[in-house]
Amino acid sequence: MTEPAAPDEPKGLGWGDYLVPVFIFAFCGVVIYVSTTFEEALPIIIGHSMQPRVFPIFVMIVIGLLNLVLIAQILSKPASRRDWEPYQTWASAVLLGVFYLIATYIDMMLALIIVMFTLCMVWGERRWWVAALVAVGTTAVIFFSFDLVLEVRFPRGLLTDPYYG
Amino acid sequence: MFADAVIAMVSVLADPYLMALIFITTVGGVIIGALPGLGATTGAALLLPFTLTMAPVPAIAVMTTIYVSATFAGAITAILINTPGTPAAAATCLDGFPLAQRGEAGRALGIAVVASTIGGVFSVIVLAIAAPMLARVAYEFRPPEYFALTIFGLSMLASISEGGAIKNLIGGLFGVWLATIGSDAITGVERFMFGNYELYEGLNFIPVLVGMFALSELLVQSRSLNTVMERISMKAVKLPSMADYRKIWRTVLRSCGIGTFIGILPAEGATVASMIGYSEAKRWSRTPEEFGKGAVEGIAGAEAANNAATGGAMVPTLVLGIPGSGTTAVILVGLMVHGLRPGPHLFTEQIDKVYAIFGTMMVANLMFFALGLFAAKLFARVTLIPRAVLWPIVFAFSVVGSYSLAQSMMDVYIALIFGVIGYLFRRFGFALAPIAIGLILGEMVETNLQNSLKMFDGDWTMIFVQPLAAVFLALAILGISQPYIFAYFKRRKAGRMAEGGPE
Repeated sequence: MTEPAAPDEPKGLGWGDYLVPVFIFAFCGVVIYVSTTFEEALPIIIGHSMQPRVFPIFVMIVIGLLNLVLIAQILSKPASRRDWEPYQTWASAVLLGVFYLIATYIDMMLALIIVMFTLCMVWGERRWWVAALVAVGTTAVIFFSFDLVLEVRFPRGLLTDPYYG
Repeated sequence: MFADAVIAMVSVLADPYLMALIFITTVGGVIIGALPGLGATTGAALLLPFTLTMAPVPAIAVMTTIYVSATFAGAITAILINTPGTPAAAATCLDGFPLAQRGEAGRALGIAVVASTIGGVFSVIVLAIAAPMLARVAYEFRPPEYFALTIFGLSMLASISEGGAIKNLIGGLFGVWLATIGSDAITGVERFMFGNYELYEGLNFIPVLVGMFALSELLVQSRSLNTVMERISMKAVKLPSMADYRKIWRTVLRSCGIGTFIGILPAEGATVASMIGYSEAKRWSRTPEEFGKGAVEGIAGAEAANNAATGGAMVPTLVLGIPGSGTTAVILVGLMVHGLRPGPHLFTEQIDKVYAIFGTMMVANLMFFALGLFAAKLFARVTLIPRAVLWPIVFAFSVVGSYSLAQSMMDVYIALIFGVIGYLFRRFGFALAPIAIGLILGEMVETNLQNSLKMFDGDWTMIFVQPLAAVFLALAILGISQPYIFAYFKRRKAGRMAEGGPE
């Protein structure tokens, strides 16, 4: 399958493996509940076909059945202990959230600069000026190439307002 | 028809803009493929937004060229640093790296380049012949046949190499559920939107794919920042000698067939193809004991198969609208964004675009042959780019690429959310390709089921008595059960071996 996967791709947590089926059941339950709240379509529109709620419920039921097989598979193997994520992973995930906040409330380009710079430093780049160069340089290249070549207009914010006027 | 395809391929050569674009994209694709963690699927997802302002043919050329060249380039790092640039090159590590350790890195890369090119060219020829023929058959398909076919496509997720059958099927169905978000195609009833009208037309595929493949990979990469790679130096790529050719030609031909066939199967792709190509090369070899120690047949078997799968995987993608692999799922989205409607109608209504795809894939295969021979050493140096610099840049392109499609911050949020979801899926042993394929097939499954029910006045059992639909559904059952059937026979064989040696 041509899909990205690092050779050192994590395979799963030991005790965490037991949580997976629990989460899947909970997810299926929520989706089925929400599906039952959907508006009913008029019979004249759907004819002999199915109501919009039926298909998602059917999909969740099949997932639930497969989950039972997954539980059997998990229980048949001894749980292996896995390491927790290193702090860089937690920090990177938090930075995704930080990007969301800054991009939403201040400026998308500023969010890019701050998050890229911090990512560089968190991932082990010791020279702050390299991190700054990567963050500012990449953001500038992206902004001008998307704005001038691809004609993409970015959301207005602290940095983009003066440019857009 | 085949002659038309050949003429179209030649016309690609005559277009300097297209040739320049294919050249640049091939270089980009080889760099992306050589960088561990990136690869064809992520590369295609990241580049898709850049094609939005292009005309359809150049845009398609970019997507297909990335696919072909990145699939090949995974071999460079597999051989030189024992880290496959793409999962499809994992089998290449087994013999490529040992051969490089013996001081024959140039020979190993030469064999990989030649085998990949033959595999790729072979599969494009098969694509050009088989796709129009299959399209003629598929033209007669009605909703029940399409419904059964999409179920067959989903069932094939069970045999994708990563994840395991059950997890892959759950992932695929999660993707199908994602496709139900938004308004129902027939009734217009809002589903899972929670008052968010930007989701009315459903989740945009591009941010979902960018998030799942690129941003989740960023989080995966953050786990291995301290990994030290052993790097083999190399003087130049060497073309295989006559003795090498004599040794590998049968393997290459066999792997061409295997790779193309595996690629044609819905949802299967280059990784499965290369694994089977490698194991068959070992099974048929006169010197199987050399495998794992630098056998040239091992490199040729894996590389010919994984590149042969690229053309094969385009067959169901173009003819049926069912992705043949994770990367073709992204390409399928690209085709739709550019106004193409994958399916049999594509071959009657937009045949010029189909020929352009054949042509660019053929040219790309020949171009990476030249680049692989003369510049592999240079491309290998991209692995020296520090991850602390590379991945923040990937992050920036991911979020801006997600934004640029609809110029909507909602798409950026979706990409961020799916980055985390994708990481959690991978963390718990689920592969991502099934989700992508499920997402793309989801609407087809539901719409064709709805239309089938309308056709048969609500009697769903009628689907099972349509001959072709019944065949596809039977194949689907076989597809789901085959990993278990194979595992059963493997256990039985191992038991017999343990009892008294081979029969």
